[in-house]
Amino acid sequence: MTVEIRMTGSQYDQIHRDLARPHPFAAERIGFVFGRTGSLANGGKLVLLTRYHSIPDEQYVEDETVGARIGGDALTWAMQAVYHGRPAREGIFHVHVHPHKGKTGMSLIDRHEIPKLMPGFQSVGREAAHGIIILSRDHGAGWVWFPSCKEPAAAHGVSVIGKPLGIFEVGVGR
Amino acid sequence: MSKDRFSRQSFLGPDSEARIARCTVGVVGLGGGGSHIVQQLAHIGFQRFVIYDGDVVEDSNLNRLVGATSVDVAAEFTKLYVAKRMIFGLQPHAWVRGFAGRWQDNPEPLRECQIVFGCVDSYQGRHELEVSCRRYMMHYIDIGMDVHGENPPVIGGQVILSSPGGLCMRCMGFLTDEKMTEEAKRYGKAGARPQVVWANGVLASTAVGLAVDLVTGWTGRPLPNVYLSYDGNKGTVKESATLRHLNLAACPHYSEGDVGDPVPVEL
Repeated sequence: MTVEIRMTGSQYDQIHRDLARPHPFAAERIGFVFGRTGSLANGGKLVLLTRYHSIPDEQYVEDETVGARIGGDALTWAMQAVYHGRPAREGIFHVHVHPHKGKTGMSLIDRHEIPKLMPGFQSVGREAAHGIIILSRDHGAGWVWFPSCKEPAAAHGVSVIGKPLGIFEVGVGR
Repeated sequence: MSKDRFSRQSFLGPDSEARIARCTVGVVGLGGGGSHIVQQLAHIGFQRFVIYDGDVVEDSNLNRLVGATSVDVAAEFTKLYVAKRMIFGLQPHAWVRGFAGRWQDNPEPLRECQIVFGCVDSYQGRHELEVSCRRYMMHYIDIGMDVHGENPPVIGGQVILSSPGGLCMRCMGFLTDEKMTEEAKRYGKAGARPQVVWANGVLASTAVGLAVDLVTGWTGRPLPNVYLSYDGNKGTVKESATLRHLNLAACPHYSEGDVGDPVPVEL
């Protein structure tokens, strides 16, 4: 099944601009971006991003074992946003940037920490797709937990519909 | 692919060949305008196509249908077949999904595209394509030509870029309720509009140029709102006066949240 994550050029720029800002104590920033799904041929899915949410500085908690950790306030906000997005089946995606160029993916810590959020999002927004998006400076990758799926589907690509077009493929065959 | 193949277009950027090859383009309507577009895209190096046209090549098409021959008329080949032949002749390893019918009957494959070219006759057809492109986040490039009046006849046409987040064809004054209502009174038929190969060629070339800039960013210009008007009598393509005088910062017709499959509303 083909899975592609799509965003506009202005959304992409907004995410990069926000996540590039230094934080008073965290080594990196995290954001939330919302998305809805569209159907492709042969059961494929598009995830189309709708809006970005910047996490306020004070909602981070100090933890030197990770680049950034967000606290209960940020997670409560996210759960409420998923709840309010239920009528539109709008899901939530954890997004952050790895500061390098080229293909990227989840680090060991990412893999250990971020997927833990998904069951909570799925319990509130059962009919929406949720997930993780990781961007590098010029590439990106994503994982999508579709409704009632316990395991994520790795996106075949992330597309930025702006100028120039960004088509970040992760090497999974079409 | 040989290194020489794209050496004359290397100014598009060091990674332009790969960017072009990764992009999936849709062409809806493979007649006078669409046949030019498909040909140019294949020459440039596009590899992934989703194309639609349900028509068979007729004798009256041969004044403008690029790639078609008298043999195609006799053999009753489809315009889709002619387009595929063109693509594979230039790009033997291209990935082509072709449909000899309306895109509305097979809408999902079109959504795989990042850029869609609309080469359709009716305003309603343009509207439906634009709605789908907004909903599934694709750049939409519309082309069309017409001939008005007599003594002398006036050839006019347009190339419009409608991008997610940008101004739409309604904002630009090209699509109006009046035009669509008028068309609907004629049972949705746009009629057999006059078409000539050179005007179609100008419009198609302009549209393809826009697409190449979108894909490669070679001009370095930010994403523009584009509404270009073609005056076939003077041989000019200029920014539409409507767009120049438009005082709109954002599109009021499509919001960022109106994307994806429609969701049933609970009453």
